[in-house]
Amino acid sequence: MSRTRQSGNSTVWSLVLFATLALFAATLYMIFIVAPVEQQMGIVQKIFYFHVPSAYAMYVGFGVSAVGSAVYLLKRDPRWDALGVAGAEVGTLFCLIVLLTGPLWARKAWGVWWTWDPRLTTTLLAGMIFAAYLALRSMGDAGEVEKRFAAGLALFGLLDLPLIHFSVQRWRGVHPTVITGKGGGLESEMYWALGLSFIAFTGLAVLLIWARASVERQREETARLRLELMHR
Amino acid sequence: MRALIAALVLGCTMLIAPLALADSPPEPDTTDAGVQEDAAEERATQFVGVRGPEAESIPGGALLLAAYAIVWALLFLFLLRMRGLQRQTAEELERLSAQIRASEGQ
Repeated sequence: MSRTRQSGNSTVWSLVLFATLALFAATLYMIFIVAPVEQQMGIVQKIFYFHVPSAYAMYVGFGVSAVGSAVYLLKRDPRWDALGVAGAEVGTLFCLIVLLTGPLWARKAWGVWWTWDPRLTTTLLAGMIFAAYLALRSMGDAGEVEKRFAAGLALFGLLDLPLIHFSVQRWRGVHPTVITGKGGGLESEMYWALGLSFIAFTGLAVLLIWARASVERQREETARLRLELMHR
Repeated sequence: MRALIAALVLGCTMLIAPLALADSPPEPDTTDAGVQEDAAEERATQFVGVRGPEAESIPGGALLLAAYAIVWALLFLFLLRMRGLQRQTAEELERLSAQIRASEGQ
């Protein structure tokens, strides 16, 4: 990579980083100072402002992983494989956040930590599919077969994402649907807090995927050098 | 013989069918679409802000704190893991570079 391009990447990285940090500060201010406490659930509803954008960041991560995997299967370019790994890891991180923060809200709102609601179940399924992907990739230096199998798994995981999104509309469930256009929705201050949180989490997901893909590319390069040295 | 078997099967069916029907659960008085609509209507579709002072029956502060702590802790752990991977790769690269230099020097 040329020095100019590296410098340009570094500038974009710094810009996204500072913008994300500033957005997180503004988001926290909006959530805890500006947005009102919810009438029925009380203060625990504020989990919503991190829970929902985390779910969105999970979609971004898993989506990037599936795109990276698809292109890798077509071109066999390790850079796309690195993107697939990065997306899967970041998506799984946000999936874990969703699956841990959701029950804390549910305990207060529904009286139970967990219920086999369609959205909860399909989210757990996506988490398990991508956890299997990461388990497969963590078995030492992944060979070509493991990489291709994992790429197929990521594409299979992609099929679950629309199920998560539309399960709440298509099947019976108890998961709230406050931002789907039906019902009363949110108060304006709540919308602002959620909107800012969405942008901040998008920036965070982009930064994490970017950084993780860069590390993965370096690892690939190291593995290639090691192999070259062995064959000298 | 086949006619006898057919007659036996028919007889058994006629005897069992009323018993099976007697044990079957009563038909629901609403249609599937109606039930689905009811379930959808029971979901929360609105978050309303408190106007004026109001106390909570179950304090949710601890749950909120736990949720936010989990978010930051997981993000921190992920960054630590990435730092570990990067350090490991840098050390490996250093070792390989040394090997290449040594092999070129020979």
